[in-house]
Order: sequence, then structure tokens, then C-alpha cells
Amino acid sequence: MIEVNDLRKQFKLTRQQKKELGRASKNGTVEAVAGITFTSKPGRVFSLLGPNGAGKTTALRILATMLKPTSGSVKICGFDVQEDPQEVRRRLGFLTGSTGLYDRLTPNELVKYYADLHGMDKKVFEKRLDEIYTRLDMHGFAKRRIGKLSTGMKQKVSITRTIIHDPEVIVFDEPTAGLDVISARSIIQLIRDFREQGKTVIFSTHIMGEVSLLSDDLAIIHKGKLCYNGSYKDFVDQMKTNSLEDEFIKLVEEA
Amino acid sequence: MNAFLTIFKKELIDTLRDRRTIIAMIIIPLALFPVIFGIWTTIQKSMVKKAKEKTLQVAVISNDSETQKLIEIIIQKEKFKLIENVPEDSVRSFVQNDSLDGVFVFSKTFNKRVENLRAGRIKFYFKSSEGDNIEKDRMKDLVDKFEDSLLSARFEKLDLDKAISTAVKLVEVDITSKKERIGKAIGAILPYIFVIFCFMGSMYPAIDLAAGEKERGTIETLLTAPVSRFVILLGKFGVVVLTGISSALVSLVGLYLVVLQFGEIPPEIIDVISGIFEIKSIILLLSLLLPLTMFFAGVLLSLSMFAKSFKEAQSIITPFNFVIILPVLIGLIPGVTLDPKTALIPILNVSLATKEIVAGTIDFWLLIEVYASLAVLAGLSLFLSSRIFLRETVIFRG
Repeated sequence: MIEVNDLRKQFKLTRQQKKELGRASKNGTVEAVAGITFTSKPGRVFSLLGPNGAGKTTALRILATMLKPTSGSVKICGFDVQEDPQEVRRRLGFLTGSTGLYDRLTPNELVKYYADLHGMDKKVFEKRLDEIYTRLDMHGFAKRRIGKLSTGMKQKVSITRTIIHDPEVIVFDEPTAGLDVISARSIIQLIRDFREQGKTVIFSTHIMGEVSLLSDDLAIIHKGKLCYNGSYKDFVDQMKTNSLEDEFIKLVEEA
Repeated sequence: MNAFLTIFKKELIDTLRDRRTIIAMIIIPLALFPVIFGIWTTIQKSMVKKAKEKTLQVAVISNDSETQKLIEIIIQKEKFKLIENVPEDSVRSFVQNDSLDGVFVFSKTFNKRVENLRAGRIKFYFKSSEGDNIEKDRMKDLVDKFEDSLLSARFEKLDLDKAISTAVKLVEVDITSKKERIGKAIGAILPYIFVIFCFMGSMYPAIDLAAGEKERGTIETLLTAPVSRFVILLGKFGVVVLTGISSALVSLVGLYLVVLQFGEIPPEIIDVISGIFEIKSIILLLSLLLPLTMFFAGVLLSLSMFAKSFKEAQSIITPFNFVIILPVLIGLIPGVTLDPKTALIPILNVSLATKEIVAGTIDFWLLIEVYASLAVLAGLSLFLSSRIFLRETVIFRG
């Protein structure tokens, strides 16, 4: 379960950014997330949809304890991201489209590294690793250096790293960015599987197709504020335009 | 502790698989001194051999009969050739253009002054060279023999024992031991090795583990692991310190290889270099190296963390290579010694203390002061890097 309540995040602007933004910058700061509230429940996929620069990544980084909120609160499985960041991290898997890997390590070494950081028991780790490797068909390249793997193989390594500790909550920040159609499809399927397993899944995207394929709940974010927050079904039912894309553009323009 | 060891182990494996680090940490420190000494010794030996074996062309200009003795000495001496009929006004140009190696020009009153038991004057024209002046010494040796023959004749004529010409025999007693003297000279180059290789050995891992991690996008996932940021930093810090120390130690092995490779080094120097490898010296030098490398590691990680990319970090850090050499150079200035003030100045104190350790003259309390100064700086640099590592604006800069 993810509970976000009136979440705000301000950033101080650099001199260059102040020049670029001009009057748009308030007191030399910019509000990337401006008071958003939503809940993401177990067994459901929560989509965070928004154009580039809307505040999706900032919001998800706060959820993942990488950034501290300026105000408001975020609870993951009942633990506050500011008060119990370690407990939050134990229950969280985080994957982004821009996630890098250590090219000089092998998939085995990399995944073991993260499992050790999560304090996994050796036997539990080995069993889970074998399950994931079998499912993602990774045994063939598990001992090769990551730097020599293809993009698709690397993505599988990233996924394994994200879920090796069997997190209750999985955060995907534009997970299909830069991937080919086949790799993107496998990510979509994976997210569906996590939903089936009863995990809380939140993913951000600006690709409408992915939203329609996956969403149980939907929030549309623009300029740090939510333009819509509710179930995907309700959103589709109350659409005044012909397509999801048109409705999204309409909402963003009105905001 | 487990999380620290996990991070340390992973960062170490990752670092040791980086070709740039291996080159900076092992290959350059190990090979640099043997290669430099090898080239230098080979050139030096060949130059000395050439100067010793060259047949020197020498001319004597004089009208006096006494000159004949010098001419005989030149003719009898091997690897000398007497050139005759050299006009006096061409002496300078002949020596200048290497047609002649040396010319002895007797003064017109030479014979008369010698007969009156006074010193006859001979002008010696030669071209000096940098370094040993072996050719000049060989030619001067001819005149020494000539003078000796004149003196013998003079004492015989006066019916005196030649030994009376020596009224004072100065016996020099230098209370500085050879080890101390040579140790201080060799100790002067050790700080170069320590400081530069410590820095170089720490530099690439620090850039890779901080700026590299940001550039690759791996920092985000690392920060979502259930480990405090300080522990993550400590793991990285530990690896940077280890590579810095290893690099300096490997350079010492390189120095030792020089001793093994070039057997013609004077035994006193070999004694001093061997002394560096005694357990006591190694412990003392390591104890200086550890806080110094920690200081470097903290500063380098801070600078690297601030940079957006590997390239930017390199651009920021490279000028520091020159900054750190300055205190080492100050340590080489004659008269600059380890005292309560210099013991507080970072890098300079390591430079001066290293000299004293190698020479075996280190003052215990000054050494403690050096440790204290370095420990404070190492602590401050770690604190600085931890502050930077906690700042969101730095981690997600760019």
C-alpha cells in the first residue's frame, strides 16, 4: 500500500535555471510536486500519467526515499519515508528506464550484491534467483559481464535486481523508455504478473497505450498537480473525447 | 558492518576490473622507476664510457725547454694524441669547434719562474660539460703529473724531503652518518612517490565510484537499497583508500626492483633503500600513508560526487595533481625541516617526515604532531564528503 498525502517538493534553482524561467520562478525555487494526494493499493496497478517535466520522477523518487519531501507525507506499507526510510527500502523495488548497471560485474554478482544489501538469506536468495532466471530465461548469460550483454538482456538483469528481495511495492519510472517493442511488452507482462501476485505496483509513463493495457487506477499529473485521480474505468466512462490521448491533452490544457 | 563489507567488496571487484585503475594503480607505479632508472643508467654509462675511452687531442704551446717533460707525458699516456704546430691565436676556435679537446699554453716567463722556485703559469683551454667533466679531469691529470715531476726536481735540487711540503693534514670527521646523509637525499624522492602515487592511485577509483556511478545511472538504485548513505560512502571511501595505499606501496616495489636491476648503485644507497623495506620503516611510512590517503580519498570523492560526469570530474581533479606537488617541492628546499609549524602543514609534513624516517632521525613528538594533523584533515575530508553525499542537489545534479 502506498499512501501519499498533500505531497510537495520544492527545488532551489540554479542561476542558469532562474534566467531560463524568468518570472515563472518563485523566490528562486520551483515546485516540482505541488500538493498531490493518492493511494495505491495491493493487487492493483496505479498509473501516473503526465507529460515530460510534470513531476512524475520527482514524486516517485520521494516514494523511493531518494528525495525528501518539502512537506506532506508518504507511507509505504505503513512506514513513513522520512521516519523509517530503511524499512521503506526493504519493501520497495525501484526500476527506471534510465537505470544503469555495473558493466564490469556479471548478472550473478550484481544481483547477489543487491540481495546482500537487503540482507537475504543465502538459501532463500538462491531459490528465488533460480526462479527468476528460469522465468526470464537468464541462465545462459548469468556469468557474462553485463557490459557485453544486449539491451534486452540488461533489462532482464535490471528486473531481477529490482525484484530479487521479493518487494511488496514495486515502483516503475518510465520502465519502457528506450526499449524495443518486444522488451517493452515483456515489462508490461511482468507488471501484470506482479498485480496477480497481489503486489502494489505504481508506474509512471507518458505512453497512452501502456496506460490502457495496465491501469486499474490512474492519476494524471501536470505541473506538479493532479488533474485526475481515480479508477481507470471511471476515467474512461466519463471521457468527453474519442480517445485516451485526446482526453489527456484536454485535461492538461485545461489545467 | 555487513553492509559496509558488501559495498566495499563489490566496489573493490568493480574497481579492479577497470583497466584505467589497474594502469594508474599498478602498472605505472611498478614500471615507472625501473624504466626511468634503466634509461638514465644506460645513457649515463654510455656517456662515461665514451668520455673515458675517447682519444683526446691535446696541444701544447710554449717556447720553454721545460715543456718537453709535459709533451713526453702526453706521448706516453694512452688515448692521448699530441697535435703540433697549433697557432696560439686559433686556440679558442679550435677548442670551440671540437678540433682540439684541450690546449696548454705556457706563459713566456714559465721557465724563469720555475727556476726561481716559484709557480709557473699554464693556461688550460677546454670545453666543460654538464656532470662529471671526465675529459677535463683526464687532461688535468697530465698537468698534475708534470707538476709532480717539476716538484721532485725542485726538492732534489734543494736536497729536501718532498714530504715537508705538507704542513697541515686535515682529517674531516663528519658526524652525519652515511646512512643519514644518503637517507635524507633518497628520502627527498620518496615523498614524490608517496604523494603522487597515493593521489594517482586514488583518483580514478574515486571518479569512477562517484561521478561514474552518477553518469551510469546506478546511483539511484543503490540509494534505494536499505543501507544508510554514510555506509555507502564508507564502502567507496575504503576502496579509494586501499587503492591509493596500494599504488604507493607498488611504487616502492618498483624502487626495490631498481636496486635489484642496477647492481652498480653504491652500497650505501642500497643500504638506505634496503632500510626502507625494514618492518619498522614500512610501518612508520604506512602510518603516514594511511591518513594522507584518507585525506585524499575524502577530497577526491567530494569533488567527483559534485561532477556530473566522469569527464567533468577529471577536468576538476587534474589541476590538483599540480597543487599537491607544491608542498612536496617546498619540502625539498634546503633549510626547510620538520618543526612544530611545518608538522601541521598537510603534504609538506609527510614530505619532511618521510625524509626523517628514511634517515632514521625522526623526532617522536613531531611525528605524533604530523599524525594528529593528518588525522584531523582525514576526518574533515570524510565529513565533507558525507555532507556532499547527503545533498540531493549534488546527487541528482544535472
